[in-house]
Amino acid sequence: MSDDETRAQLQRGLRIATLILAVLTVNVLGLIHLVHGLEFHDYPAAQFAAYAALTAVLATEAVLVVRRRPWRNGRRIAIAVVLGASALSYLTLPDGMTSTTVDWLFGAANWAGAVVLLDRPFRIFLAFLVTHELLALANLLVFHEVNRAALVRFTTGSVTVFGLPLLMAVVAAVLGGIAAEAARAARELELARTAEAAASAAHRRRAQRFAELSGTAVPLLAGLADGSLEPSDPVVQRSCATEAARMRRLFAETDTVGNPLLHELRHCAEIADHKGVEVELDARGQWPTPPVAVRRDLTDAALTALATAGSWARVTVVGSADSVSVNVVADCAEYTVPSPATPDVRIEIFGNEGTVWMEAQWQPS
Amino acid sequence: MAAELITAVIVDDHAAIAAGVRYWCDQADPPIGLIDAGDRLAGVWTGEGADADVVIFDLELVPGKPDFGELRRLVDSGRRVVVYSQHADNVTAIKCIDLGALAYLTKREGPEHLVPAVRAAAEGRGYTAPSLSGALAADDTPDRPRLSPRETEVLRAWFASSSKELVAAKLHITAKTVDTYIARVRVKYASVGRAASTKSELITRALDDGVITLAELNETAP
Repeated sequence: MSDDETRAQLQRGLRIATLILAVLTVNVLGLIHLVHGLEFHDYPAAQFAAYAALTAVLATEAVLVVRRRPWRNGRRIAIAVVLGASALSYLTLPDGMTSTTVDWLFGAANWAGAVVLLDRPFRIFLAFLVTHELLALANLLVFHEVNRAALVRFTTGSVTVFGLPLLMAVVAAVLGGIAAEAARAARELELARTAEAAASAAHRRRAQRFAELSGTAVPLLAGLADGSLEPSDPVVQRSCATEAARMRRLFAETDTVGNPLLHELRHCAEIADHKGVEVELDARGQWPTPPVAVRRDLTDAALTALATAGSWARVTVVGSADSVSVNVVADCAEYTVPSPATPDVRIEIFGNEGTVWMEAQWQPS
Repeated sequence: MAAELITAVIVDDHAAIAAGVRYWCDQADPPIGLIDAGDRLAGVWTGEGADADVVIFDLELVPGKPDFGELRRLVDSGRRVVVYSQHADNVTAIKCIDLGALAYLTKREGPEHLVPAVRAAAEGRGYTAPSLSGALAADDTPDRPRLSPRETEVLRAWFASSSKELVAAKLHITAKTVDTYIARVRVKYASVGRAASTKSELITRALDDGVITLAELNETAP
C-alpha cells in the first residue's frame, strides 16, 4: 500500500466516524432536546431554522463523504452557517435557559463545525471552537441574568461541548501523524529493499563479468605467469591486445552514455591506438540502441580485426532506424572470423591484398 | 598537357590548414595554384582570389557559426565551392550540398580527397568524399531524393572503406562503375531542393556523360 493510500484510508475512517457522531448529536440528541423544550421557546420557528441550517451542513458533508470529495469553497459558507445558526438560536433563547437542555444547540453546533473542519490544521478548528464558545458566553453575559447557577451551567456544559470535539480533533491530528510515520517507515523499508536488490544485481553482474573473462583472459594470464606463453610471440601479443580490448569494452558497457555502441567501439579503438595503429572512427546516421549481447557481437568483430591491424584501421558505423552496421577496414596480415552469438547479427569478411574488410550488421527481426 | 593550371583560393582562419593545403597543392601532379585569402572573405571576391577556379571554403570562420549565407552568395555568383569543414554532422554536410557546394570534406580528410575534389570542382563536377557519402547514405530527411538499393550500398561501402578499389572488388564491379553510382546520387541530390547554377551544371554534365537518363532523373523526386 502506498503512503497516500494509507493516509487516505485513515482519514476517511475518521471522517465517517465524526459525521456519525455529529448526526447523533445534532439530529437525534439535539432534536429530542428541541422537541422536549419546545414549550419554553418564544420563537420556535427560529430554533427550527437553526436546526435546519445545521442539518443542511451535515447533509452536505454526507454527500461529500459518499462522493469522496473534500470541502472546497463551501467550507467558509458552512462555518458561517453554523455560527449564524448558533447566534440565531442563542439570541432567541428564553431568559435563564442558557446551557440547559432547552439550549439544545449549545452541545450540537461544535459537531457541525467539526465535520467541516476535520481535515484543516488543528489551530483552525480550535479557533472555531473558541469563537462558538465566546458567542455563547457573550450571549449569557449580555442578554441574560448572570448568576452563579448560570455560570456553573455554562462552565460544566462547556467541558463536554468544547472538550469532546477538541478530543476528536486531537485524535485526527495524532492519526495524521501516525499515518505519516507509517508512510515514512514503508518508504524506508522500500528503499532498503531496493538498495539490497541493486547490490545483489551488481554482485551478480560482477560474478558474470568475471566468468566471461575467465574463459579467455585467465588462461592467457596464467600462461604468461607460468612461462608457457612467450610475450615476444606475435600470436600472444595479439591475444593480449584482444583481451585488453575486451576488458575495456566490459568496463565501458556499464557506463551511462547516449550511444553505448559508439562508446564501446571508441574504447576498442583506443587499444589499437595504443599499440601504434592509426585508427579513424566515423559514424553516420541514427540507430536504436542494440542490447548488450548484440553490441558484443558487433564490437567483437571490430576488436578482433583491430587487434590484428598492422598500421592503420578505419572503423565506421552506419545506422538507420532498422539496422546498424559496424565496418572495420584494416591492414591485417591474418584474421580470424568471429562467430556471432546472437541470431540477428551477420558478419561478412572480405580480404583483398593485405587489406581486410569486416562488416558486422545487426538487423533486428 | 597544355591544359591551364587550375587555381584555387582558400579561406581559412587557421594558418596551419592553409599551409598544409598549399603543400598538397604544390605536390599534386599537375600542381594546383593556391591563393591564400587567410580569414578574409574579401580575398575571395577581389584581386587574384576573384579569378580562382575553385573556392576552398572553411564553413566555420567564426567557431560555432557555420556561414551558410556566404556559401550561398558564392554559389549564386557562379563560384565553384569545395567546403572544407571541421563539422562532421550529416545535416551540415547535406545542407552544403543543397546550397550548391560541389564537394564537402571534413578536415580529417586529407590530400587524397581534397586534391581530387578541387580538380573535379574546377570542371564543374561534384566530388563525394567518404564522409559525405556516409551522410548521404544515412540521410533520412523527408525531402531526400529516392536512391536505388545499389546506390545506397555503394555509398555505404565507399564511406566504410574509403577505397574505391576495395568497394569495386567487394561488390564485383569496376572502380569506374563505383564512380558512376556515386555521380548518379549527386545528380539526384542536385535535382531536388534549392536551384543553383552549379547544380544545374552538374545535372547537364551527368546527362551528357550518360551517367543518368532524363527518365531516371524524373523518378528521383521524393
